[in-house]
Amino acid sequence: MTKAGRQERSNQAPPGADYRWPGVDPDELGQVRTLYGICGQCMQGDCATLLHMEDGVVTRVEGNPTAPPNYGSLCPRGAAQIMNLYNPYRVKTPLVRTNPEKGLDVDPGWKEVSWEEAMAIVIERLKEVRAKDPRGLLIMEGFGNRDSLLRNHFADAFGTPNVVGSHAPLCSIHYASNLVHAGYPEQVAEMEYCEYLLSFGRSLGPNFATTGAIRRFAKAMRRGMKLVVIDPRCSIEASKGEWIPIRPGSDLACLLAMANVMLNEGLPFDQWFMKHRTNGPYLIDPAGDYHRDPSTGRPMMWDPAAGRAQTFDAEFQDIALTGSYTVNGVSCRTGFDLVKEGFRQYTPEWAEEICTVPAATIRRIAREFVKHAKIGSTIQIDGFTFPFRPVSVNTHRGVTNHRGGTYAELVAKLMNMLVGNIEVPGGCVGDSMRGPLLEPDKDGVVRPQFKAQPHPFKFPPDSIDGHEYYPHKNCTPHLAVQAILDPARYHVDYNIEAWLNLGGNPIRKNAQPQKYVEAMRRVPFVVSIAYHMDEPTIMADVVLPEHANMERDIVSVLVPPHQTVGGEVYGADTARVRQAVPALFDTRHCDDILTEIAEGTGVLRGPGGVYDRLNRAVNHLIMKDGFFLGEGTLDINRKHAREEIQDQLLKTWPRGDGKGLAEINQEGFFRHPRSEKEFFTYYFFPGNAVRHPFYFEHLKKCGDALRADLRQAGIKFPGIADEETIWEQYQPVPCWIENSEFQAPPEYDLWVVNWKSPYHPHDSGNPGGNPWLAELYTEDPFDFAIFLNSATAAKKGLKDGDHVVVESRHGLTSGKLRLTELLHPDAVGIPGSYGLGTLQSNPLMCHGPHYNSLLTTDDNTLDAISAGQEISPRVKVYRGGEAR
Amino acid sequence: MRYGMAIDLKACVGCNACTVACRMENGTPAGILLCRVEKYETGKYPAARMGFLPLACMHCADPRCLKVCPTGATYQREEGPVLVDSHKCIGCQYCVLACPYEARHLLRKIENYYGPETVTPWEERKRETLTRGTVLKCTFCAERLERGRQPACVEVCPANARCFGDLDDPESDVAKIIARQGGAVLKAELGTRASVFYLNS
Repeated sequence: MTKAGRQERSNQAPPGADYRWPGVDPDELGQVRTLYGICGQCMQGDCATLLHMEDGVVTRVEGNPTAPPNYGSLCPRGAAQIMNLYNPYRVKTPLVRTNPEKGLDVDPGWKEVSWEEAMAIVIERLKEVRAKDPRGLLIMEGFGNRDSLLRNHFADAFGTPNVVGSHAPLCSIHYASNLVHAGYPEQVAEMEYCEYLLSFGRSLGPNFATTGAIRRFAKAMRRGMKLVVIDPRCSIEASKGEWIPIRPGSDLACLLAMANVMLNEGLPFDQWFMKHRTNGPYLIDPAGDYHRDPSTGRPMMWDPAAGRAQTFDAEFQDIALTGSYTVNGVSCRTGFDLVKEGFRQYTPEWAEEICTVPAATIRRIAREFVKHAKIGSTIQIDGFTFPFRPVSVNTHRGVTNHRGGTYAELVAKLMNMLVGNIEVPGGCVGDSMRGPLLEPDKDGVVRPQFKAQPHPFKFPPDSIDGHEYYPHKNCTPHLAVQAILDPARYHVDYNIEAWLNLGGNPIRKNAQPQKYVEAMRRVPFVVSIAYHMDEPTIMADVVLPEHANMERDIVSVLVPPHQTVGGEVYGADTARVRQAVPALFDTRHCDDILTEIAEGTGVLRGPGGVYDRLNRAVNHLIMKDGFFLGEGTLDINRKHAREEIQDQLLKTWPRGDGKGLAEINQEGFFRHPRSEKEFFTYYFFPGNAVRHPFYFEHLKKCGDALRADLRQAGIKFPGIADEETIWEQYQPVPCWIENSEFQAPPEYDLWVVNWKSPYHPHDSGNPGGNPWLAELYTEDPFDFAIFLNSATAAKKGLKDGDHVVVESRHGLTSGKLRLTELLHPDAVGIPGSYGLGTLQSNPLMCHGPHYNSLLTTDDNTLDAISAGQEISPRVKVYRGGEAR
Repeated sequence: MRYGMAIDLKACVGCNACTVACRMENGTPAGILLCRVEKYETGKYPAARMGFLPLACMHCADPRCLKVCPTGATYQREEGPVLVDSHKCIGCQYCVLACPYEARHLLRKIENYYGPETVTPWEERKRETLTRGTVLKCTFCAERLERGRQPACVEVCPANARCFGDLDDPESDVAKIIARQGGAVLKAELGTRASVFYLNS
């Protein structure tokens, strides 16, 4: 357990505080030029920019006025990115540790070395690891290098399954969308047509400050979209709509009650959609499985007109959505009925007790939602008739990051399905590739994709990320470090011998930072591909300094944006280029570093090598809309310059027209029009061509399989006191799950909540260390402090400006108290992602309350499906801690 | 012709992209922001809300700062922008006190972003345009206007909350939007005839 987030530091001046900058390259003097950029100030890397240089200095960055999704505009981080380049706290040359003792506050005694020397050490050690057991290499990655071309291919070629994302255990938001929409990463509101948006525990753009999403948000609000935000905090979004405060961590109760109102209080629902486009009519046997036709094995539905059951793909005169039927001697119910009955117990009055949202409000919102859905209406887009359902309910990490959180997002999905708004204009839309995603499986139901497609079980596990036990998991650095510290706990039968850190910060960005520090100490060899001296870098044995975003040339395809989607990004496939500004220091492009390591360890060339895998790689996010080289494009037996690969990526882009790097360097981006109707994946499987899962048979089946696999391996579910707490989350009908915080000792009388800050939603682009942004976030009345509802503070005798400690059962942090009316009385708010830091950090990275120190990696508190961590632990607040 | 701006407070999400873009354009040192967003709370729980008010020079048609300037450093262009000639400014700060909108800042000292010991190449370059002991203020991005561009705060705004143009031209977007929605100026009672109008305030 870490106390107070960080220890007191000695007075060592961090390297950089007195940095003397290199002089301007004489060749640049007198030059005025403009480069095309792609912003790297959030993980989305969406926005197209123009970088203006004079005499070798980047003087100005602006949005590219003609390019989607930002059309000339930028967010505050994007506008501040010049200071990401001109940052004296960057790592400027390769470093090797001389002090064997490792810690956030221990001077590593860096020795500056040449690239040759540093790479020789890294290659030598990694070769040893590979010879012993390639699984012994852990690659801890993050959003900072999401645009790396080679990261995953390097891991595969090296032979390690251990590529673990440092991000995401506090943002496990994927499962329900991957199951119901077969799309990744998530499902969002379609803002071009939406008329009523119900938003739980998430940002719609403004709070996160993503440019494209703010544009869509402002446009939708201008045309009068009604917005209801259910959240412990009155966010920017909530301030523009109706705010309904809710007790932290209790969204599942509220959602269950709303769905119950929709199902059991006489409200209309989309009968056509439920009968023809969900598995709601499928007949379910007493064990909870599909009743299958004995000869074909296919699920069956009841035809009330014919008075018999048929396989789902037969011709039906009518389909029974409700009722009990005996088929082949088995007494069956419809999936729809089971959901409906399962939810009946969750009355708004019951929910009010838990979530504090008044029962009358729950009923009103459910009714408004249904009313605005315009069930039965249609809309024509480019000559195609879509159902028109201009409502959506969307959840996010505030809802999902609790034990039982996956159920909460599944309940929101049920609400969306009841109004038939999946993947149609105005409704709830995925944001991965736009194309034929909704392919039916053999049961006629959307084939689960991404996180909803379970990892196969293997015992003992190959990987340390826990996917044998959490087959639908999101990124699990928390499980990985626990496996490093105690491999036997997860039945891992080998040790991690080397840790390659790139683009991510698992220490600062996760629960129990000290546990990550311990794990990094335990691993014999740590390499960090680093931008600055962040927490994992000060723990490294060798530091390989990488370019800042602006110095790192890339080509990329614009992905449909997160948070929301809308008109400005419809109907176009866009590839862009980032032209590098000259590097300031002795740094390298991340992909060049990986290429050299791959070459040195013998995994770059030949069959199964990095190039072979790159040739065959399909973009994990946008699949066929993304780059695809194809077998034989890159000669796998020789080394390729980065520019050559980029050129080939553009030329072979399935959505492109054969133009390459030379042309995009002239034009900045390629845009290829596509019919707007293709943005809605309903178009590819319309009518009854596919069914969405309403009865979550797949989840049950996966739970059954997991239990059988564990028994077969002769083990219990690792780290869990009572296995039933896992299986109750694998039910086909979501139910109420009390998360780990409900039974906390009464002294922990409040719940802590965190929200994205426009200046510092996460660490991509190092916004916390950016002095332009720091000048804003330190002064912002809604940021960089600990927040408490005024009435709650009065009861505790706390005053605005008091220095307070927030303490959970797992850790504590401290900071200045600010009183507000914008917070639920049961909540303590700590925004953004501040605090912790190292002995050699930019001092800005050491200030502010460290939210994550309050969280825990305890397996018993995780959501059993996503392995997401509890984001709102119970806390107490008291005066104390030291003012800084 | 009179340049002016309309800011839609319903659209503004308080992100401060304008504040940062302004700094990038004008090179203001640490501690000085010519454009800022005032953030505040209204109402009592649970009927509380955040409010955002972007602020900068109002480029008044009847500017108080102009009247008090003893050296003629403050002047007004024919098309409206109120500017400071740093060669004439003596830093007396009469204008700073006279401005009802706190839009003027005396550049006492040039503070570095990363502390006293390090001046980034960007700052080094930008500070060529700064004169210590003179007053800094928003110029409506006069140099950009000369190049046919809009002020930086307008172009950067992701919410499209700002509209800029000629208030005297009834056909301009800004005049039309004010005519349609009826914007309000701040501290109208002072008779400064501000050129920045707030919509949905």
